[in-house]
Amino acid sequence: MRYDLVVGLETHVELNTKTKIFCNCANKFGSEPNTNCCPICLGHPGTLPKLNEKVVNFAIRAGLALNCEVNLISKMDRKNYVYPDLPKAYQISQFYDPICKNGYIELDSGKKIRINHIHMEEDAAKLVYKGGDTYVDYNRGGVPLLEVVTEPDISSSDEAKEYLEKLQMIMRYIGVSDCKMQEGSIKCDVNVSVKPEGSDKLGIRTEIKNMNSITFMAKAIDYERERHIEIIENGGKIMQQTLRYLPETNSTESMRSKEDAQDYRYFRDPDLVDIVLTKEQINEIRNSLPELPGERFKKYVNEFGISENDAVLLVKYKNVSDYFESAIEGLKNVKTVSNFIIGQIFRSLETEAEKEEFKILTAPNQINELAKLIESGKLNMNLAKKALIKMLESGKPVTEFVSESDMKGISREEMKKMCEEAVKANENAVKDYLSGKEKALKALLGSVMKQTRGRGNAQEIEEILKGIIVK
Amino acid sequence: MISREEVLNIANLSKLYLDESEIEDARKEMDGMINFAKKIDKIDVDFKDLPEFNSISNAFHEDEIKESYPQNKILESVDGGKDGYFYIKKFN
Ligand SMILES: [Zn+2]
Repeated sequence: MRYDLVVGLETHVELNTKTKIFCNCANKFGSEPNTNCCPICLGHPGTLPKLNEKVVNFAIRAGLALNCEVNLISKMDRKNYVYPDLPKAYQISQFYDPICKNGYIELDSGKKIRINHIHMEEDAAKLVYKGGDTYVDYNRGGVPLLEVVTEPDISSSDEAKEYLEKLQMIMRYIGVSDCKMQEGSIKCDVNVSVKPEGSDKLGIRTEIKNMNSITFMAKAIDYERERHIEIIENGGKIMQQTLRYLPETNSTESMRSKEDAQDYRYFRDPDLVDIVLTKEQINEIRNSLPELPGERFKKYVNEFGISENDAVLLVKYKNVSDYFESAIEGLKNVKTVSNFIIGQIFRSLETEAEKEEFKILTAPNQINELAKLIESGKLNMNLAKKALIKMLESGKPVTEFVSESDMKGISREEMKKMCEEAVKANENAVKDYLSGKEKALKALLGSVMKQTRGRGNAQEIEEILKGIIVK
Repeated sequence: MISREEVLNIANLSKLYLDESEIEDARKEMDGMINFAKKIDKIDVDFKDLPEFNSISNAFHEDEIKESYPQNKILESVDGGKDGYFYIKKFN
Protein backbone atom coordinates (compact mmCIF):
# COMPACT_ATOMS: atom_id res chain seq x y z
CA MET A 1 0.00 0.00 0.00
CA ARG A 2 1.06 3.55 -0.61
CA TYR A 3 0.83 6.21 2.07
CA ASP A 4 0.48 9.98 2.28
CA LEU A 5 2.60 11.82 4.81
CA VAL A 6 0.82 14.49 6.84
CA VAL A 7 2.93 17.02 8.73
CA GLY A 8 2.09 20.12 10.74
CA LEU A 9 4.67 22.45 12.29
CA GLU A 10 4.58 24.61 15.39
CA THR A 11 7.50 27.00 15.15
CA HIS A 12 8.78 29.14 17.99
CA VAL A 13 10.42 32.33 16.82
CA GLU A 14 12.37 34.29 19.40
CA LEU A 15 11.83 38.02 18.95
CA ASN A 16 14.79 40.39 18.95
CA THR A 17 13.22 43.07 21.14
CA LYS A 18 15.50 44.91 23.55
CA THR A 19 13.55 43.75 26.59
CA LYS A 20 11.61 40.73 27.80
CA ILE A 21 7.92 40.25 27.18
CA PHE A 22 6.58 41.31 30.60
CA CYS A 23 9.40 43.30 32.23
CA ASN A 24 12.25 45.64 31.27
CA CYS A 25 15.08 43.14 31.78
CA ALA A 26 17.37 42.81 28.77
CA ASN A 27 16.51 40.16 26.16
CA LYS A 28 20.10 39.11 25.56
CA PHE A 29 21.76 35.82 24.64
CA GLY A 30 24.99 34.70 26.28
CA SER A 31 25.02 36.80 29.48
CA GLU A 32 26.29 35.50 32.83
CA PRO A 33 23.55 33.30 34.33
CA ASN A 34 20.72 35.03 36.18
CA THR A 35 21.94 38.55 35.46
CA ASN A 36 18.98 39.60 33.27
CA CYS A 37 16.37 38.91 35.90
CA CYS A 38 13.98 40.75 38.21
CA PRO A 39 11.08 39.85 40.50
CA ILE A 40 8.63 40.03 37.57
CA CYS A 41 10.36 37.51 35.32
CA LEU A 42 11.06 35.33 38.36
CA GLY A 43 7.35 35.37 39.15
CA HIS A 44 7.69 36.63 42.69
CA PRO A 45 4.39 37.15 44.50
CA GLY A 46 2.94 40.62 44.25
CA THR A 47 4.57 41.56 40.96
CA LEU A 48 2.55 42.68 37.98
CA PRO A 49 3.58 41.79 34.43
CA LYS A 50 3.03 44.36 31.65
CA LEU A 51 3.12 43.35 28.00
CA ASN A 52 5.96 44.73 25.85
CA GLU A 53 4.47 47.08 23.25
CA LYS A 54 7.11 46.04 20.72
CA VAL A 55 6.11 42.37 21.00
CA VAL A 56 2.59 43.28 19.88
CA ASN A 57 4.00 45.33 17.01
CA PHE A 58 6.28 42.46 15.95
CA ALA A 59 3.45 39.93 16.18
CA ILE A 60 1.33 42.10 13.88
CA ARG A 61 4.24 42.52 11.45
CA ALA A 62 4.75 38.77 11.38
CA GLY A 63 1.05 38.14 10.94
CA LEU A 64 0.73 40.54 8.02
CA ALA A 65 3.88 39.19 6.34
CA LEU A 66 2.41 35.68 6.65
CA ASN A 67 -0.92 36.73 5.10
CA CYS A 68 -2.84 36.47 8.38
CA GLU A 69 -5.86 38.33 9.71
CA VAL A 70 -5.03 40.34 12.82
CA ASN A 71 -7.55 40.06 15.65
CA LEU A 72 -8.66 43.46 16.90
CA ILE A 73 -9.02 42.09 20.41
CA SER A 74 -6.66 39.47 21.82
CA LYS A 75 -5.91 38.22 25.32
CA MET A 76 -3.25 36.48 27.34
CA ASP A 77 -3.86 33.11 29.01
CA ARG A 78 -2.05 30.98 31.57
CA LYS A 79 -0.77 27.56 30.58
CA ASN A 80 -0.26 25.65 33.80
CA TYR A 81 2.49 23.13 34.32
CA VAL A 82 5.05 22.53 37.01
CA TYR A 83 8.69 22.42 36.02
CA PRO A 84 11.85 24.17 37.25
CA ASP A 85 12.13 26.18 34.02
CA LEU A 86 8.91 28.00 34.90
CA PRO A 87 9.11 29.96 38.15
CA LYS A 88 5.41 30.85 38.25
CA ALA A 89 4.35 27.23 37.49
CA TYR A 90 2.51 28.64 34.48
CA GLN A 91 3.58 30.09 31.18
CA ILE A 92 1.83 33.21 29.95
CA SER A 93 0.68 32.47 26.42
CA GLN A 94 -2.37 32.97 24.20
CA PHE A 95 -4.85 30.14 23.84
CA TYR A 96 -8.41 31.38 23.38
CA ASP A 97 -7.82 34.63 21.48
CA PRO A 98 -4.44 34.66 19.73
CA ILE A 99 -3.28 37.80 17.97
CA CYS A 100 -3.25 36.49 14.35
CA LYS A 101 -5.05 33.74 12.45
CA ASN A 102 -5.66 32.24 9.00
CA GLY A 103 -2.49 32.97 7.06
CA TYR A 104 -0.25 31.02 4.73
CA ILE A 105 3.24 30.66 3.27
CA GLU A 106 3.44 29.93 -0.45
CA LEU A 107 6.01 27.37 -1.56
CA ASP A 108 7.88 27.60 -4.88
CA SER A 109 5.50 25.01 -6.32
CA GLY A 110 2.62 27.43 -5.67
CA LYS A 111 1.26 25.23 -2.89
CA LYS A 112 0.07 27.18 0.13
CA ILE A 113 0.87 25.93 3.62
CA ARG A 114 -1.93 27.36 5.74
CA ILE A 115 -1.13 28.96 9.07
CA ASN A 116 -3.82 28.31 11.66
CA HIS A 117 -2.72 31.06 14.03
CA ILE A 118 0.18 32.97 15.56
CA HIS A 119 0.33 33.63 19.28
CA MET A 120 2.63 35.51 21.65
CA GLU A 121 4.16 33.86 24.69
CA GLU A 122 7.12 33.87 27.07
CA ASP A 123 10.07 31.52 26.80
CA ALA A 124 11.02 29.28 29.73
CA ALA A 125 14.35 29.29 31.58
CA LYS A 126 17.39 27.33 30.46
CA LEU A 127 18.17 24.17 32.38
CA VAL A 128 21.69 22.82 32.60
CA TYR A 129 22.14 19.25 33.80
CA LYS A 130 25.39 18.33 35.52
CA GLY A 131 26.01 15.07 37.33
CA GLY A 132 22.32 14.48 37.88
CA ASP A 133 21.84 17.92 39.41
CA THR A 134 19.91 20.69 37.69
CA TYR A 135 21.12 24.27 37.32
CA VAL A 136 18.63 26.93 36.27
CA ASP A 137 19.40 30.15 34.40
CA TYR A 138 16.36 32.43 34.24
CA ASN A 139 17.88 34.87 31.72
CA ARG A 140 15.82 33.23 28.98
CA GLY A 141 12.70 33.12 31.14
CA GLY A 142 10.35 35.78 29.83
CA VAL A 143 12.06 36.24 26.48
CA PRO A 144 9.32 36.97 23.91
CA LEU A 145 8.33 34.28 21.43
CA LEU A 146 5.90 33.99 18.59
CA GLU A 147 4.51 30.56 17.92
CA VAL A 148 3.48 30.01 14.31
CA VAL A 149 1.16 27.02 13.97
CA THR A 150 0.39 25.48 10.57
CA GLU A 151 -2.47 23.30 9.44
CA PRO A 152 -1.38 19.73 8.60
CA ASP A 153 -0.74 20.77 4.99
CA ILE A 154 2.86 19.64 4.61
CA SER A 155 3.27 16.38 2.73
CA SER A 156 7.04 15.77 2.54
CA SER A 157 10.20 16.53 4.46
CA ASP A 158 11.28 18.74 1.56
CA GLU A 159 8.13 20.83 1.90
CA ALA A 160 8.74 21.10 5.65
CA LYS A 161 12.28 22.31 4.94
CA GLU A 162 11.14 24.85 2.39
CA TYR A 163 8.39 26.10 4.68
CA LEU A 164 10.81 26.60 7.55
CA GLU A 165 13.45 28.26 5.36
CA LYS A 166 10.84 30.65 3.99
CA LEU A 167 9.49 31.42 7.46
CA GLN A 168 13.03 32.11 8.66
CA MET A 169 13.70 34.37 5.69
CA ILE A 170 10.48 36.35 6.13
CA MET A 171 11.06 36.85 9.88
CA ARG A 172 14.55 38.18 9.12
CA TYR A 173 13.28 40.49 6.38
CA ILE A 174 10.68 42.10 8.60
CA GLY A 175 13.32 42.46 11.30
CA VAL A 176 11.54 40.69 14.16
CA SER A 177 14.02 37.86 14.73
CA ASP A 178 17.55 36.80 13.90
CA CYS A 179 16.30 33.22 13.55
CA LYS A 180 19.65 31.78 14.56
CA MET A 181 19.02 28.09 14.92
CA GLN A 182 22.31 27.48 16.73
CA GLU A 183 21.26 29.95 19.43
CA GLY A 184 17.84 28.38 19.62
CA SER A 185 16.10 31.50 18.37
CA ILE A 186 13.97 29.36 16.07
CA LYS A 187 12.76 25.92 17.13
CA CYS A 188 9.94 23.71 16.04
CA ASP A 189 7.67 20.91 17.17
CA VAL A 190 6.72 18.56 14.35
CA ASN A 191 3.46 16.62 14.14
CA VAL A 192 3.71 13.56 11.90
CA SER A 193 1.15 11.03 10.74
CA VAL A 194 0.54 8.85 7.69
CA LYS A 195 -2.66 7.75 5.97
CA PRO A 196 -3.48 5.48 3.04
CA GLU A 197 -2.90 7.36 -0.20
CA GLY A 198 -5.80 9.63 -1.03
CA SER A 199 -7.71 8.88 2.19
CA ASP A 200 -9.53 11.72 3.97
CA LYS A 201 -9.09 10.28 7.42
CA LEU A 202 -5.99 11.43 9.29
CA GLY A 203 -3.83 8.81 10.97
CA ILE A 204 -2.74 8.89 14.60
CA ARG A 205 0.03 11.43 15.02
CA THR A 206 3.21 11.64 17.00
CA GLU A 207 4.90 14.87 17.95
CA ILE A 208 8.66 15.40 17.79
CA LYS A 209 9.63 18.17 20.18
CA ASN A 210 12.22 20.91 20.04
CA MET A 211 13.88 20.49 16.66
CA ASN A 212 16.53 23.18 16.25
CA SER A 213 18.10 22.14 12.97
CA ILE A 214 16.38 22.09 9.59
CA THR A 215 18.45 19.11 8.46
CA PHE A 216 17.60 17.05 11.53
CA MET A 217 13.96 18.04 11.30
CA ALA A 218 13.81 16.64 7.77
CA LYS A 219 15.54 13.45 8.89
CA ALA A 220 13.22 13.08 11.87
CA ILE A 221 10.16 13.41 9.61
CA ASP A 222 11.50 10.76 7.20
CA TYR A 223 12.34 8.46 10.09
CA GLU A 224 8.89 8.80 11.67
CA ARG A 225 7.19 8.25 8.34
CA GLU A 226 9.00 4.94 7.87
CA ARG A 227 8.35 3.93 11.48
CA HIS A 228 4.61 4.63 11.20
CA ILE A 229 4.30 2.74 7.93
CA GLU A 230 6.17 -0.24 9.32
CA ILE A 231 3.90 -0.45 12.37
CA ILE A 232 0.76 -0.19 10.25
CA GLU A 233 2.00 -2.76 7.71
CA ASN A 234 2.65 -5.18 10.56
CA GLY A 235 -0.90 -4.76 11.79
CA GLY A 236 0.08 -2.60 14.76
CA LYS A 237 -1.34 0.64 16.03
CA ILE A 238 0.52 3.93 16.29
CA MET A 239 0.71 5.19 19.85
CA GLN A 240 0.00 8.89 20.16
CA GLN A 241 3.00 10.25 22.01
CA THR A 242 5.60 12.95 22.33
CA LEU A 243 9.03 12.09 20.98
CA ARG A 244 12.56 13.31 21.07
CA TYR A 245 14.83 12.98 18.01
CA LEU A 246 18.28 11.46 18.54
CA PRO A 247 20.69 12.68 15.83
CA GLU A 248 23.44 10.18 16.76
CA THR A 249 21.30 7.19 15.81
CA ASN A 250 18.82 8.98 13.51
CA SER A 251 15.87 7.70 15.51
CA THR A 252 13.23 8.90 17.94
CA GLU A 253 12.51 7.97 21.53
CA SER A 254 9.44 8.48 23.66
CA MET A 255 9.27 11.42 26.08
CA ARG A 256 5.75 10.75 27.27
CA SER A 257 2.66 8.94 26.02
CA LYS A 258 -0.85 10.28 25.60
CA GLU A 259 -1.94 8.66 28.88
CA ASP A 260 0.12 11.10 30.85
CA ALA A 261 -0.52 13.96 28.44
CA GLN A 262 -0.72 17.16 30.41
CA ASP A 263 -3.87 19.06 31.07
CA TYR A 264 -2.67 22.63 30.96
CA ARG A 265 -5.86 24.09 32.49
CA TYR A 266 -5.66 27.15 30.29
CA PHE A 267 -7.43 30.19 31.63
CA ARG A 268 -7.39 33.91 31.10
CA ASP A 269 -4.51 35.62 32.91
CA PRO A 270 -6.16 38.11 35.27
CA ASP A 271 -2.94 40.11 35.61
CA LEU A 272 -2.97 41.17 31.96
CA VAL A 273 -5.53 43.33 30.22
CA ASP A 274 -6.96 42.99 26.71
CA ILE A 275 -4.91 44.01 23.70
CA VAL A 276 -7.22 46.19 21.64
CA LEU A 277 -6.07 47.24 18.18
CA THR A 278 -7.51 49.57 15.58
CA LYS A 279 -7.64 49.02 11.84
CA GLU A 280 -5.65 52.22 11.35
CA GLN A 281 -2.89 50.91 13.57
CA ILE A 282 -2.74 47.66 11.61
CA ASN A 283 -2.72 49.49 8.27
CA GLU A 284 0.09 51.70 9.45
CA ILE A 285 2.16 48.61 10.25
CA ARG A 286 1.20 47.07 6.91
CA ASN A 287 2.52 50.15 5.11
CA SER A 288 5.78 49.99 7.03
CA LEU A 289 6.56 46.42 5.92
CA PRO A 290 9.54 46.06 3.59
CA GLU A 291 9.37 44.30 0.27
CA LEU A 292 9.30 40.59 1.17
CA PRO A 293 11.69 37.95 -0.22
CA GLY A 294 8.99 36.32 -2.36
CA GLU A 295 8.16 39.64 -4.02
CA ARG A 296 11.82 40.45 -4.59
CA PHE A 297 12.47 37.03 -6.07
CA LYS A 298 9.67 37.51 -8.60
CA LYS A 299 10.92 40.99 -9.47
CA TYR A 300 14.50 39.81 -10.01
CA VAL A 301 13.46 36.95 -12.29
CA ASN A 302 10.61 38.57 -14.21
CA GLU A 303 11.70 42.19 -14.47
CA PHE A 304 15.48 42.01 -14.21
CA GLY A 305 15.96 38.78 -16.14
CA ILE A 306 18.18 37.28 -13.46
CA SER A 307 18.31 33.47 -13.41
CA GLU A 308 16.26 31.73 -10.72
CA ASN A 309 19.40 30.23 -9.18
CA ASP A 310 21.02 33.64 -8.85
CA ALA A 311 17.81 35.25 -7.60
CA VAL A 312 17.61 32.66 -4.80
CA LEU A 313 21.12 33.60 -3.69
CA LEU A 314 20.34 37.32 -3.83
CA VAL A 315 17.15 37.17 -1.75
CA LYS A 316 18.31 34.59 0.77
CA TYR A 317 19.71 37.21 3.14
CA LYS A 318 18.13 40.60 3.55
CA ASN A 319 21.49 42.39 3.84
CA VAL A 320 22.58 41.02 0.47
CA SER A 321 19.30 41.87 -1.19
CA ASP A 322 19.24 45.38 0.31
CA TYR A 323 22.81 45.92 -0.89
CA PHE A 324 21.89 44.77 -4.37
CA GLU A 325 18.81 47.03 -4.43
CA SER A 326 20.83 50.10 -3.56
CA ALA A 327 23.76 49.20 -5.86
CA ILE A 328 21.55 48.96 -8.94
CA GLU A 329 19.99 52.40 -8.68
CA GLY A 330 19.78 54.04 -12.09
CA LEU A 331 21.32 51.10 -13.96
CA LYS A 332 19.89 49.61 -17.11
CA ASN A 333 21.65 46.29 -16.86
CA VAL A 334 21.55 45.10 -13.26
CA LYS A 335 23.05 41.72 -14.04
CA THR A 336 26.55 43.18 -13.83
CA VAL A 337 25.89 43.93 -10.17
CA SER A 338 24.31 40.56 -9.40
CA ASN A 339 27.29 38.85 -11.03
CA PHE A 340 29.70 40.93 -8.95
CA ILE A 341 27.85 40.01 -5.74
CA ILE A 342 27.48 36.31 -6.44
CA GLY A 343 30.94 36.08 -7.99
CA GLN A 344 33.69 38.32 -6.63
CA ILE A 345 31.99 39.47 -3.41
CA PHE A 346 30.66 36.08 -2.24
CA ARG A 347 34.10 34.60 -2.90
CA SER A 348 35.46 36.83 -0.15
CA LEU A 349 32.78 35.69 2.31
CA GLU A 350 33.38 32.11 3.33
CA THR A 351 30.62 31.12 5.71
CA GLU A 352 26.85 31.47 5.49
CA ALA A 353 27.03 33.64 8.61
CA GLU A 354 29.42 36.01 6.82
CA LYS A 355 27.13 36.17 3.82
CA GLU A 356 24.18 36.87 6.07
CA GLU A 357 26.04 39.66 7.83
CA PHE A 358 27.42 40.94 4.51
CA LYS A 359 29.92 43.26 6.10
CA ILE A 360 32.15 44.40 3.26
CA LEU A 361 34.38 47.42 2.86
CA THR A 362 32.92 48.50 -0.45
CA ALA A 363 29.74 50.55 -0.20
CA PRO A 364 26.84 49.89 -2.59
CA ASN A 365 27.24 53.32 -4.20
CA GLN A 366 30.86 52.40 -5.07
CA ILE A 367 29.64 49.29 -6.87
CA ASN A 368 27.03 51.46 -8.53
CA GLU A 369 29.76 53.85 -9.73
CA LEU A 370 31.76 50.92 -11.12
CA ALA A 371 28.73 49.44 -12.89
CA LYS A 372 27.88 52.81 -14.42
CA LEU A 373 31.39 53.12 -15.89
CA ILE A 374 30.90 49.73 -17.52
CA GLU A 375 27.42 50.56 -18.74
CA SER A 376 28.55 53.80 -20.37
CA GLY A 377 31.36 51.94 -22.13
CA LYS A 378 34.07 53.90 -20.35
CA LEU A 379 35.52 50.84 -18.68
CA ASN A 380 35.75 47.32 -20.01
CA MET A 381 34.79 44.30 -17.94
CA ASN A 382 38.35 43.09 -17.71
CA LEU A 383 39.62 46.22 -16.00
CA ALA A 384 36.44 46.51 -13.97
CA LYS A 385 36.91 43.08 -12.42
CA LYS A 386 40.52 43.84 -11.56
CA ALA A 387 39.48 47.12 -10.00
CA LEU A 388 36.67 45.43 -8.06
CA ILE A 389 39.09 43.06 -6.35
CA LYS A 390 41.20 46.00 -5.21
CA MET A 391 38.10 47.92 -4.17
CA LEU A 392 36.90 45.01 -2.00
CA GLU A 393 40.29 44.74 -0.32
CA SER A 394 40.64 48.45 0.42
CA GLY A 395 37.16 49.96 0.53
CA LYS A 396 38.43 52.68 -1.81
CA PRO A 397 36.41 53.91 -4.79
CA VAL A 398 36.99 52.69 -8.34
CA THR A 399 38.69 55.98 -9.31
CA GLU A 400 41.65 54.97 -7.13
CA PHE A 401 42.39 52.01 -9.35
CA VAL A 402 41.63 53.11 -12.87
CA SER A 403 43.23 56.14 -14.49
CA GLU A 404 41.73 58.70 -16.83
CA SER A 405 43.39 57.00 -19.76
CA ASP A 406 41.96 53.59 -18.69
CA MET A 407 38.53 55.11 -18.80
CA LYS A 408 39.07 56.81 -22.11
CA GLY A 409 39.27 53.44 -23.73
CA ILE A 410 41.48 52.94 -26.72
CA SER A 411 40.86 53.87 -30.33
CA ARG A 412 41.05 51.43 -33.22
CA GLU A 413 43.86 53.48 -34.70
CA GLU A 414 45.96 53.07 -31.57
CA MET A 415 45.31 49.35 -31.46
CA LYS A 416 46.26 49.00 -35.11
CA LYS A 417 49.54 50.77 -34.45
CA MET A 418 50.31 48.49 -31.52
CA CYS A 419 49.50 45.41 -33.59
CA GLU A 420 51.76 46.52 -36.43
CA GLU A 421 54.61 47.06 -34.01
CA ALA A 422 54.03 43.65 -32.43
CA VAL A 423 54.08 41.91 -35.82
CA LYS A 424 57.35 43.67 -36.72
CA ALA A 425 58.97 42.76 -33.40
CA ASN A 426 57.96 39.10 -33.47
CA GLU A 427 58.88 37.79 -36.89
CA ASN A 428 59.31 34.25 -35.60
CA ALA A 429 55.83 34.13 -34.12
CA VAL A 430 54.42 35.35 -37.41
CA LYS A 431 56.27 32.65 -39.32
CA ASP A 432 55.03 29.98 -36.90
CA TYR A 433 51.49 31.18 -37.30
CA LEU A 434 51.73 31.17 -41.09
CA SER A 435 53.04 27.62 -40.94
CA GLY A 436 49.91 26.55 -39.10
CA LYS A 437 50.70 27.02 -35.43
CA GLU A 438 47.53 28.69 -34.13
CA LYS A 439 49.11 29.16 -30.70
CA ALA A 440 51.65 31.61 -32.03
CA LEU A 441 48.89 34.16 -32.57
CA LYS A 442 47.96 33.95 -28.87
CA ALA A 443 51.47 35.08 -27.94
CA LEU A 444 51.14 38.11 -30.18
CA LEU A 445 47.70 38.84 -28.82
CA GLY A 446 49.04 38.63 -25.28
CA SER A 447 51.77 41.13 -25.90
CA VAL A 448 49.36 43.63 -27.49
CA MET A 449 46.84 43.20 -24.65
CA LYS A 450 49.60 43.92 -22.20
CA GLN A 451 50.46 47.10 -24.02
CA THR A 452 46.85 48.30 -23.92
CA ARG A 453 46.91 47.63 -20.16
CA GLY A 454 43.79 45.60 -20.48
CA ARG A 455 41.78 48.30 -22.19
CA GLY A 456 41.68 46.57 -25.54
CA ASN A 457 39.12 44.11 -26.70
CA ALA A 458 40.81 40.76 -27.33
CA GLN A 459 38.53 39.78 -30.18
CA GLU A 460 39.07 43.05 -31.96
CA ILE A 461 42.85 42.81 -31.56
CA GLU A 462 42.94 39.26 -32.87
CA GLU A 463 41.00 40.37 -35.90
CA ILE A 464 43.43 43.25 -36.58
CA LEU A 465 46.46 40.99 -36.11
CA LYS A 466 45.16 38.43 -38.58
CA GLY A 467 44.47 41.21 -41.06
CA ILE A 468 48.04 42.46 -40.87
CA ILE A 469 49.71 39.05 -41.06
CA VAL A 470 47.67 37.74 -43.99
CA LYS A 471 48.49 40.89 -45.98
CA MET B 1 -17.40 10.62 48.16
CA ILE B 2 -13.72 10.36 47.42
CA SER B 3 -12.62 6.72 47.01
CA ARG B 4 -10.05 4.73 48.92
CA GLU B 5 -8.02 4.32 45.70
CA GLU B 6 -7.99 8.06 45.13
CA VAL B 7 -6.67 8.65 48.63
CA LEU B 8 -3.92 6.09 48.12
CA ASN B 9 -2.99 7.57 44.75
CA ILE B 10 -2.77 11.09 46.15
CA ALA B 11 -0.72 9.78 49.09
CA ASN B 12 1.61 8.07 46.67
CA LEU B 13 2.04 11.21 44.53
CA SER B 14 2.68 13.27 47.66
CA LYS B 15 5.20 10.68 48.89
CA LEU B 16 3.19 10.18 52.09
CA TYR B 17 2.79 6.89 53.86
CA LEU B 18 -0.70 6.29 55.27
CA ASP B 19 -1.47 3.67 57.90
CA GLU B 20 -4.50 1.50 57.23
CA SER B 21 -6.23 3.30 60.10
CA GLU B 22 -5.48 6.71 58.61
CA ILE B 23 -6.99 6.05 55.22
CA GLU B 24 -10.62 6.33 56.30
CA ASP B 25 -9.91 9.57 58.21
CA ALA B 26 -8.13 11.02 55.21
CA ARG B 27 -11.15 10.17 53.02
CA LYS B 28 -13.46 12.09 55.32
CA GLU B 29 -11.13 15.06 55.67
CA MET B 30 -10.55 15.41 51.95
CA ASP B 31 -14.23 15.10 51.29
CA GLY B 32 -14.84 17.91 53.74
CA MET B 33 -12.33 20.10 51.96
CA ILE B 34 -13.82 19.46 48.56
CA ASN B 35 -17.35 20.10 49.78
CA PHE B 36 -16.22 23.33 51.37
CA ALA B 37 -14.71 24.48 48.07
CA LYS B 38 -17.89 23.47 46.25
CA LYS B 39 -19.66 26.44 47.87
CA ILE B 40 -17.99 28.52 45.17
CA ASP B 41 -20.11 26.77 42.55
CA LYS B 42 -23.20 28.54 43.93
CA ILE B 43 -21.78 31.96 43.07
CA ASP B 44 -22.82 33.23 39.68
CA VAL B 45 -19.56 34.20 38.07
CA ASP B 46 -19.43 35.54 34.59
CA PHE B 47 -15.93 36.90 34.17
CA LYS B 48 -16.98 39.04 31.25
CA ASP B 49 -19.18 41.09 33.54
CA LEU B 50 -16.45 41.99 35.98
CA PRO B 51 -15.93 45.71 35.39
CA GLU B 52 -12.17 45.68 35.98
CA PHE B 53 -11.73 43.34 33.06
CA ASN B 54 -13.27 45.55 30.45
CA SER B 55 -12.51 49.05 31.62
CA ILE B 56 -8.76 48.83 31.05
CA SER B 57 -6.94 47.67 27.96
CA ASN B 58 -3.53 48.09 26.38
CA ALA B 59 -1.33 48.45 29.45
CA PHE B 60 2.09 48.13 27.86
CA HIS B 61 5.70 48.60 28.84
CA GLU B 62 8.06 50.43 26.55
CA ASP B 63 10.83 48.37 24.98
CA GLU B 64 13.63 50.13 26.85
CA ILE B 65 16.07 48.22 29.04
CA LYS B 66 16.03 48.98 32.75
CA GLU B 67 18.67 47.60 35.03
CA SER B 68 18.00 44.06 36.22
CA TYR B 69 18.71 42.91 39.77
CA PRO B 70 22.28 41.91 40.60
CA GLN B 71 22.88 38.19 40.47
CA ASN B 72 23.50 37.85 44.21
CA LYS B 73 20.21 39.61 44.95
CA ILE B 74 18.40 37.28 42.56
CA LEU B 75 19.94 34.23 44.22
CA GLU B 76 19.41 35.54 47.76
CA SER B 77 16.13 33.67 48.12
CA VAL B 78 17.82 30.34 47.40
CA ASP B 79 20.79 30.67 49.75
CA GLY B 80 23.00 32.06 47.03
CA GLY B 81 22.48 29.25 44.52
CA LYS B 82 25.53 27.58 43.01
CA ASP B 83 27.98 29.02 40.45
CA GLY B 84 25.49 31.76 39.61
CA TYR B 85 22.65 29.32 39.03
CA PHE B 86 19.57 28.23 40.88
CA TYR B 87 20.51 24.76 41.95
CA ILE B 88 18.38 21.65 42.31
CA LYS B 89 20.16 18.71 43.88
CA LYS B 90 19.53 15.32 42.40
CA PHE B 91 16.94 13.46 44.42
CA ASN B 92 16.62 9.72 44.53
ZN1 LIG C 1 12.70 40.78 34.54
